Amino acid sequence: MAASTMCTAWVSSITRKHCYDVFGIIRSPLFRGASYSTALSVPTNKDVMTRGNRSTMSRRPRREPAAPRTDKMTVDQDWSSVYPTAASFKPSTVPLPIRMGYPVKRGVPLEKKGNLELIKIPNFLHLTPAAIKKQCAALNVFCTKWPETLDSEAKCEQHFPIQVKMTDFVFAGPSVRNPKARVTTLTVKVSSLNLDDHGRKKLIKLAGERHNKETDMLTFTADRCPLRRQNYDYAMYLLTVLYHESSKHEPWEKEKTEADMEEYLWESSTSERNAVETLLRMKGSEDGSAPREELLSSRPMQEYRNSVTNLKNAGESESTLLQYKQSVKNLLNL
Amino acid sequence: MKMNEYFLSDRLVHFLVYYFKLVFSKIDLRKEQVLRIPSLDFSRSSVISRFFCNSRLSPWVQTAGIHVGSHHCTVAPSITETEEPDSLYKNVAVLVKGHDKAVLDSYQYFATLAAQELGINIDKVYEPPKKIERLTLLKSVHIFKKHRVQYEMRTYYRRIELKHLTGCTADVYLEYIQRNLPEGVAMEVTKTLLEKLPEHIKEPVWNTISQEEEKQRQ
Repeated sequence: MAASTMCTAWVSSITRKHCYDVFGIIRSPLFRGASYSTALSVPTNKDVMTRGNRSTMSRRPRREPAAPRTDKMTVDQDWSSVYPTAASFKPSTVPLPIRMGYPVKRGVPLEKKGNLELIKIPNFLHLTPAAIKKQCAALNVFCTKWPETLDSEAKCEQHFPIQVKMTDFVFAGPSVRNPKARVTTLTVKVSSLNLDDHGRKKLIKLAGERHNKETDMLTFTADRCPLRRQNYDYAMYLLTVLYHESSKHEPWEKEKTEADMEEYLWESSTSERNAVETLLRMKGSEDGSAPREELLSSRPMQEYRNSVTNLKNAGESESTLLQYKQSVKNLLNL
Repeated sequence: MKMNEYFLSDRLVHFLVYYFKLVFSKIDLRKEQVLRIPSLDFSRSSVISRFFCNSRLSPWVQTAGIHVGSHHCTVAPSITETEEPDSLYKNVAVLVKGHDKAVLDSYQYFATLAAQELGINIDKVYEPPKKIERLTLLKSVHIFKKHRVQYEMRTYYRRIELKHLTGCTADVYLEYIQRNLPEGVAMEVTKTLLEKLPEHIKEPVWNTISQEEEKQRQ
């Protein structure tokens, strides 16, 4: 007897179990209550309540959960009013059959209802292309156009020679400030400054490493001040000081030797002297200065001068060496 | 019931609304309801029309809290132009960093579309290689040196380079982009300003001073 009651109780418990959500099947009104009759009558909700000596009057009737909002949505609705701002994923509001999650064996990813992964990941539902276009149309009023005359890089360089580079940081952290944000880099092309030859050479010597030979760019990186504006002002101050210093003519600059020269000058060099003396000796002893000038201004001499200057300044290469060879041959009439 | 035709002008209606809202409870104004909520019943129209007809401060009807909201009263903020010259940016490079590549993909689409809509030149959009920071830690709190656990933190990057922007456009675009930056994503913006040579560098100062002195003498 006890066994049979146990058995029936177990059976009845199975039937009741089928009423609730098993494997995600939504509870349907058909399954409420007993599915088939047994010897032991399955107690209904009402019986349970009265057994517990609770009055049925105070008990609120159980409400059905409302249908999700997705059922009432039309296909041509305005989506930007459903998700106007960034909001977490709401399965009852997004009418898409999305599944997310690692599936069990021979299973599928989990559905969107109650899916934490979908809630965790940042969504872009508020930034659909239509919404972006609407917002940009509203923002276009505040934008200005780039001047059409400044279409090429060369023109930008010509009119705006100074370039200032700054970095901003947007991130989440214990502090809003980033120490790298104060670094300011100022770049100028030396040829755009109003300097003569002497000034230019002096500036390059003073700048040292900050000057790039290939691009002829002068770069100042200022980060010694705590604020970006201060660093910018300091960089401009450096440029001003450098410019003025290189425009000055100091008395001790006259003592510049050949070793200090940046580029090779043929005018007062040993090469010129040697060439002239060799030629004079070749022609035999004649009167001094006039033929000297003639020699210097003669075409083979000029060619020789060019080739030697090229060789020394540009470095050794096939073309320069060939040029040098030709000029020597012409000079010595070989 | 047809609505009475003795209507006051729009502005006066708004003024009246404002006045009554200040002093008394909310009023049900037929005219505004017709404009905004077509589904309301028209049974009250007789009362209101009489009210306007008499143009006396006769007792009004307090309705069940229909909010005569002033959405229509707000005017869009007018745009002011200042004398300050607009700055010019040679290029603006936006580097976004995040742990999830899919989020960065979506953000890239958003940023590029926004740039196109605002008429900004996009130079290049590319993905710098990711950086993985790996840690090897002891698994247990105490001893068991041979058993460790390894973690890695991946940072994915996306770089969007724009060129030839004005200061206003850059500010607008960057503010829009940054307000919509998703959680867990960081951004670095590198801007290159274009500037003219300042006045004091065009010529050495002593030249200008001597010119001024000559002028003063004259």
